Amino acid sequence: MAAEWSSDVWPDWCPGCGNFGILSALKLALSELRINKREFVIVSGIGCSGKIAHFVRTNGVHTLHGRAIPFASGIKVANPELKVVVHGGDGDLLGIGMGHFIALGRRNIDILVVIHNNGVYGLTKGQASPTLGKGVKTKGLAFPNITEPVNPILLGMMSGYTFLARGYAYSVEHLKDLLKAGLNHKGAGVLEVIQPCPTWNNVTTTEWVSNNTFYLKDWKPLVEKKEDLAQKMKEVLSMEYGDKRALGIILEDNTREVYQERVTKLNEIYDKYPPSKQKIESNGRILPISFEKTFEKYLI
Amino acid sequence: MDLNIIIGGPQGGGVETAGMLLIRATATAGLQVFGVREYHSNIKGKHSYFHIRTSNKPINSIKHPADILGGLDPETLATHFSELRKGGVVVYDEAIESKSLTRSPSIDPAKAKRLRSALTEKGIKDTVEGLREYLKGEGVSVYAIPFSKIISNVLKGTNIQIERTMNTAITSAILSILGMKKDIVYDAISSLFAGKAGIIEVNRKVADAVYEELSTAEKFQVESAKGEDDKKGHEEVGKRLLLAGNDAVAIGKILGGLRFQTYYPITPAADESLVIEEIAKIFDNEGRIIGSPIVVQTEDEISAVGMAIGGVLTGVRSATSTSGPGFSLMVEGLGWAGINEVPLVITYYQRGGPSTGLPTRHSQSDLLFSIFAGHGEFARIVIASGDHREAMEDAVKCFNYAEIFQVPVIHLLDKGLANSVTTVPVPSIDIPIVRGKIVDGGEEYKRFKLTEDRISPRAFLGRTIQWYTGDEHNEYGNICEDPVVREEMYRKRMEKRRMILEELPDWDKARFYGPEKYDDLLLTWGTTKGAVVDALPELNATGERVSVLQVRLMEPFPADYVSEFIAGSRRVVSIEANYTGQLAWLIERYCKINVDGKVLKYNGRTISEDEVLNGYRRIKEGETSVVLTGGE
Ligand SMILES: Cc1ncc(C[n+]2csc(CCOP(=O)(O)OP(=O)(O)O)c2C)c(N)n1
Ligand code: SF4
Ligand SMILES: [Mg+2]
Repeated sequence: MAAEWSSDVWPDWCPGCGNFGILSALKLALSELRINKREFVIVSGIGCSGKIAHFVRTNGVHTLHGRAIPFASGIKVANPELKVVVHGGDGDLLGIGMGHFIALGRRNIDILVVIHNNGVYGLTKGQASPTLGKGVKTKGLAFPNITEPVNPILLGMMSGYTFLARGYAYSVEHLKDLLKAGLNHKGAGVLEVIQPCPTWNNVTTTEWVSNNTFYLKDWKPLVEKKEDLAQKMKEVLSMEYGDKRALGIILEDNTREVYQERVTKLNEIYDKYPPSKQKIESNGRILPISFEKTFEKYLI
Repeated sequence: MDLNIIIGGPQGGGVETAGMLLIRATATAGLQVFGVREYHSNIKGKHSYFHIRTSNKPINSIKHPADILGGLDPETLATHFSELRKGGVVVYDEAIESKSLTRSPSIDPAKAKRLRSALTEKGIKDTVEGLREYLKGEGVSVYAIPFSKIISNVLKGTNIQIERTMNTAITSAILSILGMKKDIVYDAISSLFAGKAGIIEVNRKVADAVYEELSTAEKFQVESAKGEDDKKGHEEVGKRLLLAGNDAVAIGKILGGLRFQTYYPITPAADESLVIEEIAKIFDNEGRIIGSPIVVQTEDEISAVGMAIGGVLTGVRSATSTSGPGFSLMVEGLGWAGINEVPLVITYYQRGGPSTGLPTRHSQSDLLFSIFAGHGEFARIVIASGDHREAMEDAVKCFNYAEIFQVPVIHLLDKGLANSVTTVPVPSIDIPIVRGKIVDGGEEYKRFKLTEDRISPRAFLGRTIQWYTGDEHNEYGNICEDPVVREEMYRKRMEKRRMILEELPDWDKARFYGPEKYDDLLLTWGTTKGAVVDALPELNATGERVSVLQVRLMEPFPADYVSEFIAGSRRVVSIEANYTGQLAWLIERYCKINVDGKVLKYNGRTISEDEVLNGYRRIKEGETSVVLTGGE
């Protein structure tokens, strides 16, 4: 089933790269969700992770370093019928592209952002990424990292994302379920995937992951009512400051309006006739626009 | 008639309204009007003004000397009195007579110093009174009217401040002195404050009181208005749109099918996006909604260009609008659009650079930047409009050309256009919309299919399966570094430059004005065209035969077409608002000739008609490079 979701392009990642796990989980999720290939768009950034857009048999828009979110936002706002997912590296989405990452949460556009968190800049040979811990020295670094890391889940939470989850690249079944939940969620979502990079990151290894993560069991991610949000955030905050990283759905909030609803409130046409559904010509000429009614203010 | 009026005051103190009242009034009287807005990068307090020219012949520029000066404050009088001609008119509130001309805290120290030495040189005391005495000696009619008293009478019992209606008072005085009927002032007030009945009433009362005050005063017929009928009716000029350049582009874009616009606020581009947002709904004659563009204010210009590209990929005519600093940030995205053959439109209003430069002032110094911006090589179209009407029409054409050739298009404009106000005829709706090769895609679709004519059929996202990448790619849009594929794809993209030159009509490459046979050819572009073309009658009155070629297609450069015009000339002179002569550079590079003279300006103010005459005269007298310095 998932095989039909493979494109003809050979995935050129290093053997053992965590990106393979993410690719498998994604294809499984798309297959199980019976997604329409024509109406699905993978928008990716630049890095090893960004190449994923070429490896799946669906629309792939491989953009610029850090800029997948703007491209994806434009696609989704212009044509809300498309299902849009962003894939990017930790450097891409949280370094050079962090402004867009925050902006997407604030807008709550219906897009899932999958962060391939490998702690390094894979494609440029292993420099420190924004998620690499302070004091950590991976293979490619001359000295231990002297910069504090950013927590993608907490940053996502404070930016307004309404779905937050963390998975592990080699836990494919689990990751597939997170992807399905994230794709089904209405609103902006963050799915942080801990992604081993055997080539450059000799610290965040498989072993590190088994010692430093745990699967959420009795955790209730859902924000039932608006008023519960602050309490839920506090719980997430203290969990994220614990010794181990939680794997699973961390927060889901359906009480906040998605972007499309916000636009429709200002302009009721948007819901039925988003830009992609509007005619712009009649018989090769501009529409029969009434100047009196449309541009009245300028007429003399 | 040909009248030039300057009205100024502190920014945020009603200058905008004063200028718009004058413009509305003259336009509704059936006259042609062109108003240039000058202001600091400041919200309240610094000197700003409108230079408004009105005439019964078409105009696209301002001209010095001015006939009338209206000052809301002493600084305005000090700044502009030397721009007045002998026999001109000055209007201000009597209450400011004892004030210093140059000692307001908001005045720029450099300017204060410059003005003080000018005053000393002319023996003028640094007060409004002192200036009045001097001007009277110069044959200027000074109208020091007790506006404050008049207004406070009208406003008695309300809590409206006198300053709020000072603009209406001074404007009414100017219009009354010009002999304009009060109805026209009423109309202007009503349309400017549409929907605010209370404000309309108060302003009309102020106009009444001013007209009353001046009823017995000598009606000053300004010389250049003499003998002309300034009340030519609507019949003669037909239905028109009164608008700023930003409005013209916004309307053009909507006509052209823009349905998605992204922007990050920047002067002088942001007003355009606001206008599109406010228009919100497009109606047909039956009042049915037939369209509605969506505008998104993004987190920065990098996002603005990315989002606009995203919109284009879904098949929506999408654009972003910016100025120099924003365009600098968009350059990487522009390259992505180049390698992915995305029909993206970027509306680019130049302002003074580099860096933040002169945020609210005019410049034409980004011509070469817009042509060469981006690493690597790719085809793009850069079209520079010369006036409001062109800007509106070009806004439609930019979308058409972008989609026909599948290239990014930069619509290059400037602050001079963005903020100047004039009228254009209501366009006919017989405007073509051409969307180029569009397909549904189907199975085995190749977005970058190599075809005979270099254009691959384009499918929108959602119709088929396709890939895009900023990497070099094969026909499917998947990454490919094979040298042979690389060459094919490179050529496919670059050869569009030749196609564009072959297929664009001459009319869009360059426009010629003046006598068919000429000695001297003036080359210009962008809004400088207005002043150069307006100067033509006088230029040709000097005995020389002078014509103008306004270059519009800046990239790919129409060298052959431009060369045809150069071939017939004895002397070639370029006129543009930058330091290096960027159009001259292009002509020298592509047409392989030497430009004989350059008339340049880089003080942040637009080139006026009189400056063109002056610049040309100096070139004729042997200078090879003339720098114009007019404007305040
Ligand atoms: C504007 C810009 N700067 C720098 C680069 C070079 N570059 C390519 S990939 C990359 C970092 C990749 O790291 P990450 O985003 O974490 O992705 P990964 O390779 O780890 O998946 C950089 C800096 C670029 N492509 N564009
Ligand atoms: S460098 Fe690291 S992230 Fe990149 S492909 Fe190799 S293993 Fe994967
Ligand atoms: Mg990384």
